[in-house]
Amino acid sequence: MSIQADTSILNRVDGSATLKSGETEIIVSVSGPIEAKPRQELPTTSALDIIIRPDIGISTTREKLLEDKLRQVLTPVIIGILYPRQLIQITIQVLQSGEDKEYTSKELSTIINATYLALIDSNIGLKVSFAAESFAISTDDEIITAPSRSQLKSSKSSHIVSYEISNGKATKLLFSDSIGTFSENQIYQILDLAATKVEETHQIFRKTIQDKIEKDFIWQL
Amino acid sequence: MAKGIEVSINEKSFVFDALKQGIRLDGRKLEDFRNVDITLGDEYGYVDVRLGKTRVVARISAEISTPFEDRPFEGLFTVSTEISPMASAMFENQRQSDDELLISRAIEKAVRRSGALDLESLCIIAGSKCWSIRADVHFLDYDGGFIDASCIAVMTGLQHFRKNDITVSGEQIVIHSVEEREPVELSVLHVPICVTFAFFNPEGVEENIKGESNNEIYIVDTTLEEDLLKDGVLTVAVNKNREVCQISKAGGLPMDALTLMDCGRKAYDIAVELTNQIKKLLEADYKRRNEGIQYKLRAENDRITVE
Amino acid sequence: MSRFEIYSPEGLRVDGRRWNELRRFECRINTHPDSSDGSSYVEQGNSKVICIVNGPMEPSSKAEMSTSKATLKISLNVTPFSSIDRKKRSKNERRIQEIVTSLKRTFEQSIIVNKYPRTTISITLHVLALDGGLLSSITNAITLALIDAGIAMYDYISSVSAGFYNNTPLLDLNQLEESDVSFLTIGVVGKSEKLALLLLENKIPLDQLESVLAIAIAGGHRIRDLMDKEVRRHGDLRLSKLANK
Repeated sequence: MSIQADTSILNRVDGSATLKSGETEIIVSVSGPIEAKPRQELPTTSALDIIIRPDIGISTTREKLLEDKLRQVLTPVIIGILYPRQLIQITIQVLQSGEDKEYTSKELSTIINATYLALIDSNIGLKVSFAAESFAISTDDEIITAPSRSQLKSSKSSHIVSYEISNGKATKLLFSDSIGTFSENQIYQILDLAATKVEETHQIFRKTIQDKIEKDFIWQL
Repeated sequence: MAKGIEVSINEKSFVFDALKQGIRLDGRKLEDFRNVDITLGDEYGYVDVRLGKTRVVARISAEISTPFEDRPFEGLFTVSTEISPMASAMFENQRQSDDELLISRAIEKAVRRSGALDLESLCIIAGSKCWSIRADVHFLDYDGGFIDASCIAVMTGLQHFRKNDITVSGEQIVIHSVEEREPVELSVLHVPICVTFAFFNPEGVEENIKGESNNEIYIVDTTLEEDLLKDGVLTVAVNKNREVCQISKAGGLPMDALTLMDCGRKAYDIAVELTNQIKKLLEADYKRRNEGIQYKLRAENDRITVE
Repeated sequence: MSRFEIYSPEGLRVDGRRWNELRRFECRINTHPDSSDGSSYVEQGNSKVICIVNGPMEPSSKAEMSTSKATLKISLNVTPFSSIDRKKRSKNERRIQEIVTSLKRTFEQSIIVNKYPRTTISITLHVLALDGGLLSSITNAITLALIDAGIAMYDYISSVSAGFYNNTPLLDLNQLEESDVSFLTIGVVGKSEKLALLLLENKIPLDQLESVLAIAIAGGHRIRDLMDKEVRRHGDLRLSKLANK
């Protein structure tokens, strides 16, 4: 599957990234740390403002749910204590969702990956790297990595798995979300498979970040 | 980055002095429109427009829905223009500022109220079924010119979009997939193009109201910095047939009527140029898509279009 | 097309006017002397508008205070009984909001706002009857009420609509004409040819725009004269009261 990533594409925000993985295309912007509104302010850590906007139509409960899931991924990873009483605003625009409205797995895994790149681009402190991958189990019990729109539609269940990555190795499970029917055995298979897939994805991101740093520091050469 | 962007007095006088000499900070002439870079997506109705640093993406989509009771013979067309903080921190999420309101109204009037899309052609079964066309405009990056860019994006999108073919038998509608039948294009009646002018008053307010000098400066297609400093703004939507579809000068610096007429004519020249650019792009895209076997298998004959 | 003849071959419109004739324009200022600082009542044909101005006064919240100029607050209430269909119009309707924003930006330029720093000028409008020319009648009403309130302005803003139908420009449209004719509304500054406000929502051929603008400006000047007459009449009345004391 093809992954195309690019960072620092927007001018009015602190960090931005676009990620196209397969049929799904996401653009993420990060502004922060910025001044928080009094009601958002948290005295010891940074507040996270996550906005997800769908490609077609206005945001619904589906997007709110995605926002909430992303918050679960990001809260333990961002070093909030560095930015007390400040706000980190993450805006995610889905450009092409690549799946039908009743599924969220491809969108969410791409969003997690794109947000990772945008956060790196914005120089927000992160405790650890992370990456996510989406899976589906087909009707003949085959595990499909990064399913296509039609594969997802005919699948029995869909899964998203995100791992923390340190030193290029997937260490801790950060987030896992499954919808559909599947066996205990299958989910463990997926978790194992995800660890290797996520490591592969991470290598691509490392390359992207390396390119970005080379571009950013071109004046030093 | 701060919420609002403030321009210092020094910057302001620098921009003003330059304008008085007919120079703009990005090297354009006062009446130059920025280069418009339009990219069409693989999906029908996906348009990415870049106007300098401004970037807007429009998505056109269609679904079947019920028409309004008082208009049974017309389909639905909605334009959604919500600006997220992605474009700039000055836009708050889910809270519409005055500027945002004027932007969305201008697009709405230029594209929807001017009848750019033939709504009657969207009717399937009078009073019960019709196509509902939706244009979602995503504002990604802001450097002025949102109205102009999004108008181009929506109009290109509408012309690029193809909706699934349908067969109607009684109350039953069959929607054919793209593989099954060639999707059909929307009936776009004319292509309005918005051009925004900004006014600057190099002299005092008294001179503007009472004086005869008419020294006000007008420039085309402002960048964000110019946009924040402007004294007044005028948006003209005009199509290739020399029809003005919308004019909005919502207050701001009073301008001489003759100057406004000049703006109208300038807008027309720019609109013709842009319409041709869009047309060329769409033709190239059409050719690319229909290369190879599918092109030969088409049932439809090549029609000769007479301009 | 409707059953009505918008412009007959004899050169008459639905209500019997010629192409360049205004509707009956009547205005009063100082209509609510006890409840406001400035007030006016404008009848433009069958459209009737009341405008109340309060201020310059202390702003209700610090957030809306500007240290360099007065802030304008406009609230527009189109009453449900103003038109035939009795539709309840919300203040948050986007069309109403757009009008309010346009008016705010128009009058911010014509009031000498920097004379009243740290204050608010609040303008309240009630449309009692609507027969076309919503924007123009409220603009005229605001101008008069601001003058009555004694707020310093550079000049009158007089507003009128003009349309274009079958190669003829038509001045000051009523509701019937508005629904069939494409039209624009302008706000003219004093006796000049400068436009503070220009809104066009339907299609007009570019080459005809100039002729439509020309009669609109002429109509605007005529309305300015009528408003000026009323202001002077009221001024004389006030003066004579002073003299009698």
